[in-house]
Amino acid sequence: MNQSQLSRRRFLQATGGTALAAALAGCGGSDGGGGSSTKELSFVYMGTAEQQATWNKLFAKFSEKHPEIKLKAEGIPLSNWGDFFNKLSTRLAGGQVPDVIQVATEGQRLFASKGLLAPLDDYIAKDKSTIDEYYADMDPNLIEWNKKYSSTDGKTYYLPGEFNTMCMWYSKDLFAKAGVPEPTAKWTWDDFRHACEQIKAKTGAFGYAAGPEYFAAIMPWLLTNGTSSFSDDWSKPTYNDAKAIEAAEFNRALVADKLSPPPGGTFDATTAAAQGKLAMFGGGRWPIISIRNLKATAKMGIVPWPTKVEQGSPVGWNGYPIMKASKKKDDAWTFIKFLISTEGSSFFAQLGGTIVPARKSIANSESFLTDAPKGTEYLYQALSYATPIPSPDKGAAVQKAVEDGWKQVLTGNASPADALGKAQTALEGLV
Amino acid sequence: MKPQRRDWLPGYLFISPAVLLFLVFVAAPLVAAFGLSLFHWDLLSTPEFAGLDNFRQLVTDGATIRAVINTFVFAISSVITHIGIGMLLALGVHRTMTRGTKYFVRTAFFFPFLVSWAAVALVWKYVLDPTFGLANYYLSATTNWLASPTWALPTLIVVDWWHTIGYTFIILLAGLQTVPAQLHEAARVDGANAWWRFWSVTLPVMSPTIFFATVITFIGAFQIFDPMVIMTQGGPDGATRSIVQYTYEKGFQSFEIGYAAALSLVLFVVIMIVTGLQFRLSRRWVHL
Repeated sequence: MNQSQLSRRRFLQATGGTALAAALAGCGGSDGGGGSSTKELSFVYMGTAEQQATWNKLFAKFSEKHPEIKLKAEGIPLSNWGDFFNKLSTRLAGGQVPDVIQVATEGQRLFASKGLLAPLDDYIAKDKSTIDEYYADMDPNLIEWNKKYSSTDGKTYYLPGEFNTMCMWYSKDLFAKAGVPEPTAKWTWDDFRHACEQIKAKTGAFGYAAGPEYFAAIMPWLLTNGTSSFSDDWSKPTYNDAKAIEAAEFNRALVADKLSPPPGGTFDATTAAAQGKLAMFGGGRWPIISIRNLKATAKMGIVPWPTKVEQGSPVGWNGYPIMKASKKKDDAWTFIKFLISTEGSSFFAQLGGTIVPARKSIANSESFLTDAPKGTEYLYQALSYATPIPSPDKGAAVQKAVEDGWKQVLTGNASPADALGKAQTALEGLV
Repeated sequence: MKPQRRDWLPGYLFISPAVLLFLVFVAAPLVAAFGLSLFHWDLLSTPEFAGLDNFRQLVTDGATIRAVINTFVFAISSVITHIGIGMLLALGVHRTMTRGTKYFVRTAFFFPFLVSWAAVALVWKYVLDPTFGLANYYLSATTNWLASPTWALPTLIVVDWWHTIGYTFIILLAGLQTVPAQLHEAARVDGANAWWRFWSVTLPVMSPTIFFATVITFIGAFQIFDPMVIMTQGGPDGATRSIVQYTYEKGFQSFEIGYAAALSLVLFVVIMIVTGLQFRLSRRWVHL
């Protein structure tokens, strides 16, 4: 009996030790493993199944040009950058490190500041003519912003790539039916509100779909009212200043007066607009896929966002950094050069990606403007007055705080000053 | 008989798969959570030792307190309504139905439980849409159920009925069927009416089943996560944020892994205490 009890204790000690070891192993992430040690060049990007089909064609083109490199691309089907970066971070912590990743402005500073990326400066110096040619074909603002916001230590981790800005998409049919003249590039908030009212009165359709999305539905209103969510260097939130509150009030009034469907529901703006049930919605390039599928490109138009104080639009662009732990950095660089090449980006534009090409020559070419609504060129022009989407390190949490506050205003649960004040406090705690 | 020296070995070998799985997937993460809760860690940088900082933050974080209250409100209303409604459904099915219809109705009630929460939540989001939803159409209302601070949590509780009550119902129905018919007969001979037979025969005999259902429902409700994330994202203004959801937000959106670990320990301790309490109280009413 005694013997048996001793054994039991020893048994438990031994297994307990195993458990502890397992726990400790779980704590420390390791660099090896995952994509970096395999023979393939691994690339992780964000894309829905629909978008992945498009990407795959681009990858096929790359494999055709560089048969010596075996590319293993993995698209993660998420709909916002915050979630994508969370997923990516969790993977990295788990020791799965790809060679190249796709990082939009929303996460560039986060990844650069954690020392996870390899600087590209040597490669850029080596391929100077290629990069110079690329930069010469691009709005200088994009290069400037990329330098200012995407790195904190002076090194280059990202080449600026394709981007999105915000413009207003509108249904030409509904404007015509209501007898309202189509909007012009220089229209104001008052013109916008007036158009919504007229369209509602004459056709019964909603004027605009107000929403709580940080990039697509909050920033454009803040920027056209001469303010932003954060100070210029992203160090201080400015979400409760008088102009932000005014913008929120303006949006709340649209909901309260039933010019916009209430937020939080399942209203699908793109489809509603194509069916003539909604006159306007905000968008960058991405609605194009749905609009084309609905065969409504000819029925839609695009104009710059209406202004109150000045022209404004948020902008976010893609970067394709090489991970520090990658063992295939040269291949990775070849892949990046393919993505920014005239050939690669024109092919992608033609396929109807969800994003505006960084190269001016392609953004103004037929491959981008054909089968797209009238006014698509405004998306590139917006670069001249756009503001990079403020994205401090804790991007996902920042986005949530901003959106939660706005939602409270739109639903009428809280006054704009209270809701944005509360969000401001939350944001202050995050930076 | 005297136990042989080596008698213990096969025994341990027999239980070892279960024990190992438990150690690797339950005990080890628990130990790891204890360890992590003492650190500040953002997943990507090196963890920093924080002592009890995370626990200190817990007590003063208004959002945590709100999440704990929400979770208790959700769990307590779930337990009461699930047992109550589940019992009524079970009694109804047990007493009034023929074998065939019973089989059909039992499957129909249980079916939603087999559908994943994600699908259920998405469908209900459409049903509850303020403008086009079926709910507002039939109620002739314009309430924005999921965006209203008053209605959001009660709405989720009701959606949870649809999804989960079938499970409680099945457990209770099984319990009802174990009540021996001769006890009922004896009670009837002694002149007890239907209510008394239920109160003095059915309930006592079923009490272990009811106890089991209560504990399981409570634990399940305490870990509620999916409908909040999909339907309300914890909003409006934290009115529906549950502890598990807040843990997720802190861990994988704000990257405060240490704080998230501390939160999950709180959940662990709360469930342990409440379950312990239930077992203790059960001595007074569960008939074994």
